[in-house]
Amino acid sequence: MISQALRLSRLAGKQLLRHRLRSLLTLFGVAAGLFLFTAVSSLQRSLDKATRLEATDSTLVVYRENRFCPSTSRLPEFYEEEIRAIPGVREVIPIQITVNNCNASLDVISFRGVPPDQLARFAPELEIIDGSLSDWQARSDGALLGKYFASRRGLAVGDAFEAAGLKVQVSGILDSPEPQDNNVAYVQLPFLQQNSSSGLGTVTQFNVRVEAPEDLERVAKAIDQRFRAESEPTYTQPEKAFIANTAGELLSLAAFTRWIGLGAVLAVFALLGNTLLMVQRGRVKENAVLRTLGYPAPAILWLVLSEGALLGLSGGLSGVLGAMFMLQWRRISMGTEGIALTVESDPRILISGLLLALGLGLFASLWPAWIAMKRPVVESLRS
Amino acid sequence: MNASPLIHCHHLTKHYRKGKQQVTPLQALDLKVPRGEFLALMGPSGSGKTTLLNLIAGIDSPSEGELIIDGQDISQLSRGKLSRWRAQHVGYIFQLYHLIPVLSAYENVELPLLLDSFSGRERRERVELALRLVGLEDRMHHKPKELSGGQEQRVAIARALVADPPLLVADEPTGDLDRDAAASVLQLLQELSREHGKTIVMVTHDPKAAEAADRLLHLEKGKLLESEALPA
Ligand SMILES: Nc1ncnc2c1ncn2[C@@H]1O[C@H](COP(=O)(O)OP(=O)(O)OP(=O)(O)O)[C@@H](O)[C@H]1O
Ligand SMILES: [Mg+2]
Repeated sequence: MISQALRLSRLAGKQLLRHRLRSLLTLFGVAAGLFLFTAVSSLQRSLDKATRLEATDSTLVVYRENRFCPSTSRLPEFYEEEIRAIPGVREVIPIQITVNNCNASLDVISFRGVPPDQLARFAPELEIIDGSLSDWQARSDGALLGKYFASRRGLAVGDAFEAAGLKVQVSGILDSPEPQDNNVAYVQLPFLQQNSSSGLGTVTQFNVRVEAPEDLERVAKAIDQRFRAESEPTYTQPEKAFIANTAGELLSLAAFTRWIGLGAVLAVFALLGNTLLMVQRGRVKENAVLRTLGYPAPAILWLVLSEGALLGLSGGLSGVLGAMFMLQWRRISMGTEGIALTVESDPRILISGLLLALGLGLFASLWPAWIAMKRPVVESLRS
Repeated sequence: MNASPLIHCHHLTKHYRKGKQQVTPLQALDLKVPRGEFLALMGPSGSGKTTLLNLIAGIDSPSEGELIIDGQDISQLSRGKLSRWRAQHVGYIFQLYHLIPVLSAYENVELPLLLDSFSGRERRERVELALRLVGLEDRMHHKPKELSGGQEQRVAIARALVADPPLLVADEPTGDLDRDAAASVLQLLQELSREHGKTIVMVTHDPKAAEAADRLLHLEKGKLLESEALPA
């Protein structure tokens, strides 16, 4: 039973391979649609990952109240010790941020200045995959690059580069489970402060890690409470909420792209349906001959479904893999206000893209398959 | 050999509805075809020849009457069973060959075996045997458009033969062929009947083609006229 079904599917495959031009054209269309779908899903998923608060998140971002851009958020560096003293705070790090472009952009360069001896303690999850932390600590103009940043710019350890008015030397490449970190360049805080208008003693924000994730809200309130009366009051929120708020416009723009994804899926469905219907139009006699040879009606149904499934799946595979390859290679990162979000694909998107392509192929062939199966043999032979 | 006829039509009638009108291409037809006989059917256009072949081949079902083939009343079979029955009992040869253009001669002949549970090797042996029988073992990998009409028809005959059915039906198998190609196809059919014991029912318009058969029947307006035994 199964081997018969497989033999019929092979026959359907031969029909596809040997009507090469027609199959290729359809395959291209399906691939283009699934390329779009995959790119859009990856975008949605990456944004979702970067902005949706999870139960285990424990990072807060302390920003100057009512400021939304790193160039305008200024806080005194001495807040650090005050924040550290608040119950529930495990670790705190002052960060100065300098970007080459404060607007929405596809190629943001974001420098994060941090005290060199504090980085490893604050973010033990950072892994130096090339160069070394001590080299970075030893060089005042050293930079630790996130791996995406490095590959996007083609930079390696030892290279020097200049951006946003800063000239730095690459001391190491880092890898972090947080996609955010993989897109920035860490430099020494005093270096960044000296090279920016704000000067020593001032930072853009503090990142805070709390003892227990469930304390996130409480600690945030306590921090803002502490500085409410100061001349530089703060606004503290979970890191992901901070990203969601800061990149808000970008996010609503990106949310719109889901319609592009949906449109692509519908176009693929229409294309497959049209192709399969036309193919079956031309195959009325062939099917009647197969029925005469003793093929039962369900075998005809299976042949048409196989053809749809193979067409959908092969087009889908090319499109999905093409998009994943492109995202891997180009490392598209979208940024605004100093936040850089990398569009990343993952195996879940691969699987869902392939299942979608298969489903579209099957679904689009249902009607043509039904007609082909139901068509009376004798009339078809006479036609 | 079994003495009962392979085909036994008893009061076989077929109606078609054409709008409000009813057409009756076959009217209470009685026919017996002994096993191993090569029978030719002639008759004017529209006399019901194809209709009769389609009934015998199990791709159409009679409106009335009995149609017993190889001891089984096939008018009683369900659609699914009838497909299975066709695969095992009949090979159909068309005037226009009806090979699948994208498949090679080999693959076309293999088609009826794809639904069986033969091993790959058994399938290959059967396909090669059938192609050898029709004299085309050297054209196995040619596509239909790379073959002459006569060769295409012989591939179609191999396809009809490959599952080794007792019965072959042919609807004007030489209608589209030149004289030489027609002669070789007829000779092949004769061989299949005489040497391999196939029962053959062939429709033809060509009296010369009919001469190749053991017996000739004339069909007119859905009824058989006379029967004459041809000299072997
Ligand atoms: N499916 C159908 N619906 C309606 N009428 C039909 C159908 N099939 C056959 N007929 C009619 O039945 C009659 C006999 O047709 P059939 O094809 O059997 O003739 P034939 O003897 O094979 O003719 P020819 O020599 O032209 O092939 C014709 O009048 C035809 O119009
Ligand atoms: Mg006819």
